[in-house]
Amino acid sequence: MKIVVLVKQVPEADKVAVDPETGTLIREGVASILNPYCEYALDQAAKLKQTYLEEDIEIIAISMGPPQAKIALMRCLELGADSAYLLSDRKFAGSDVWATSSALKEGIVNLVPDFDLILTGKQAIDGDTAQVPAETAEQLGIPQITYGVDVKLDRRRIEVKREVETGYQILSTRLPALVTMSKGSNIRRIPSMRQVLDARKKLLETASADDLNIDDSKIGLKASPTQVDKIFAPPIKTGGDIIDGSDPVLAAKKLLDYLVENNFLKR
Amino acid sequence: MSQNNITAKRIEKAPIEEIRFIKGEETIVESYPSYLIDESKISGGHAEWLFFPKNEEEIASIIQKAKEEEILITVSAARTGIVGSAVPFGGAVLSLERMDQIIGLGFDEDTNKWFVRVQPNITLNEINDIVQLKKFENNQSIPPEKNWVEKFREEKAYYYPLDPTEMTCSIGGTIAANASGARSFKLGPTRDWIRRIRVILGTGDVLDIKRGDFKAVNGVFTIKTSEEEIKINLPDYEMPLAKNAAGLYSKEDMDLIDLFIGSEGIFGVITDADIWLTEYKSQISNVAFFEDEEDSIDFVNKLRKLEEFKPEFIEFFDDNALTLLRNKQNEDPKFVNMPTISDKFKAAISFDLPYSDEYLEKYFSLIGKMLEESNSSLEKTWSAYEERELARFKHFRHAVPEIVNNIIAERKKVYPSIHKLGTDMSVEDEYLKEMMNFYHQILIEEGLDYVQWGHIGDNHIHVNILPNNMEELEKGKNIYKKFAEKAVSFGGSVSAEHGIGKIKHDYLKIMYGEEGINQMRIVKMSIDPDCVFNCGNIFGRGVPT
Repeated sequence: MKIVVLVKQVPEADKVAVDPETGTLIREGVASILNPYCEYALDQAAKLKQTYLEEDIEIIAISMGPPQAKIALMRCLELGADSAYLLSDRKFAGSDVWATSSALKEGIVNLVPDFDLILTGKQAIDGDTAQVPAETAEQLGIPQITYGVDVKLDRRRIEVKREVETGYQILSTRLPALVTMSKGSNIRRIPSMRQVLDARKKLLETASADDLNIDDSKIGLKASPTQVDKIFAPPIKTGGDIIDGSDPVLAAKKLLDYLVENNFLKR
Repeated sequence: MSQNNITAKRIEKAPIEEIRFIKGEETIVESYPSYLIDESKISGGHAEWLFFPKNEEEIASIIQKAKEEEILITVSAARTGIVGSAVPFGGAVLSLERMDQIIGLGFDEDTNKWFVRVQPNITLNEINDIVQLKKFENNQSIPPEKNWVEKFREEKAYYYPLDPTEMTCSIGGTIAANASGARSFKLGPTRDWIRRIRVILGTGDVLDIKRGDFKAVNGVFTIKTSEEEIKINLPDYEMPLAKNAAGLYSKEDMDLIDLFIGSEGIFGVITDADIWLTEYKSQISNVAFFEDEEDSIDFVNKLRKLEEFKPEFIEFFDDNALTLLRNKQNEDPKFVNMPTISDKFKAAISFDLPYSDEYLEKYFSLIGKMLEESNSSLEKTWSAYEERELARFKHFRHAVPEIVNNIIAERKKVYPSIHKLGTDMSVEDEYLKEMMNFYHQILIEEGLDYVQWGHIGDNHIHVNILPNNMEELEKGKNIYKKFAEKAVSFGGSVSAEHGIGKIKHDYLKIMYGEEGINQMRIVKMSIDPDCVFNCGNIFGRGVPT
């Protein structure tokens, strides 16, 4: 059985600031990491591999990104992926969520045509759109289950426990399918020295758009229906004013004055 | 060409009324209590004055004022020290918090090394934020006519590598204490990273001391101040070969800068310093687990003999420390933030090695062989190299003392004056195993709670005794003295990194005897005859005989 884990390298989110003048992200000196939700997806894949030994599970990690994203893939290899591919090409530059999922779809179809299950993080902590997994599933024409917290295998089906606002929901579907993971253990795993050493002997290949026979019209800026106009830091929320309510009549008067003064109401 | 005499320069004094200060013991206790305590948590600190100078001129003026009022000065910066050196007992606190900037960046063309010039109260974290992101202004080159800042921007990543665990410490404090920490196994203590310092003396004159310029001749220095010529006879004791931060540094032909580094502030106020930078190189951090403590010590002995590379640190956790961590993991997994530690393991060694794609396989195979010879393996060893993972490993090494402090805080609720007893002793390489066995044997015999952890690469284990009641505290204190005597008999130091401060005078006596202390006092009285600075640090205010 083959599980594809789609991953993304992201800047450590809590260290990124927005330049107030240019509206761009200040990434200087900020380290890149494997997106935490993608790591949950990888953890789930490793857990399935350990639990269902008879399935002889093979885990393939795939990412699209610049050459340095190989580091995130190396972490995947250390934590249990058997092989990894980086889709990297200048032609991918400027891809929005749709063009990214087009590239990922082509990558999967070309590199792992016989995949059974795709696991991804629910979203990346830099863009936060949560659209790439869903669009990839759509482009592949396979069922998708989002916000998963646990996955069980049952021959050619999976059963997924997923988060909903009121609690959890159990859904099942046939394979192949795509599941996005929203939660995992809050203690990140640490590879052993043996795993770090062995990871470097595993397959980690880079594939270009041409390697994957992707039509130029499907990828990059030209194939992106959406564009980011501006990035800005949200205004800092202040605590608000509190009106003392011990005297209701006085409090109501103060509130009215406030609303009028600030043009919320007209007398 | 070096010489053994130096001339101090007169400083113009700022008008005293321009200096920010707070006066009144009660006001300081009520509104500024943090200036009366440091991380030693010793109680009883008090002061009548609190000064906030912003430059040397103001410090010179404060010194004059202190002499007129016949009061002592306690120099204060980040107050992260743990032997009470910054805790005042009367007189004035001179807080350097307004002197916390990077002055500039230079390149030493004699040694081909980069350095930064800093004010004393800047923290190590702040220095590295600026250095790593190269946040210098173009006019900050030293000297200004050289374009060092522009050239530095084209260089690889550099940093100030000293890591005394508490990175919010001030650079001035680390120089006064000769701080070290885990990485001193490879990097050495602060002393090895200081190019130059400026120090204001009790006369209000300033010494500008660059390493290599002033060396003692037959154990003698001469300092010319605006008032007199001071002859300094250095103590003639022999310092231990093991890691040491106890008492004054003294060698017959020593550099003058080394007399001030580690002197715990007893000669004057450090007002600026040049510190060396080094290229930042990626490291891989590891924690190896062992089922037997002896095996872990064998592994350490192999690791430090390795020729291919030298780890920056080699740290130890004993069975009791691992048990503390495991218990904490059950209660609050996020605090420890590490995978579960199996209870079959009785000791762990944390160490790092240089990250290099080229040599990784070779280094790991070497380590793997050594681990197997010591009944552990690559499989039983955690390994990581991402920045955030290195920070996580560092937190893990720091977790043991934090848990100990929390336990003691609980016990304080029942016995308010109870405290932990933390040793800081080093020995020579060959006595490591014997010393550790001695610790275990005595502590088990006496039935005290304890953990052993720390800098095993330097044969410098911190034993933390956790008394349950006042009787056990007294017992612990007696044992502490026995440990100090044993460490000294094994060629070691009673304080390898914390210093003596106001709380370890008795142990320094075990190391150097009355005669040694007396010789240190004579140096103090030569340089600071009015005993203006930090009296009570290293030794009490006695008069030399």
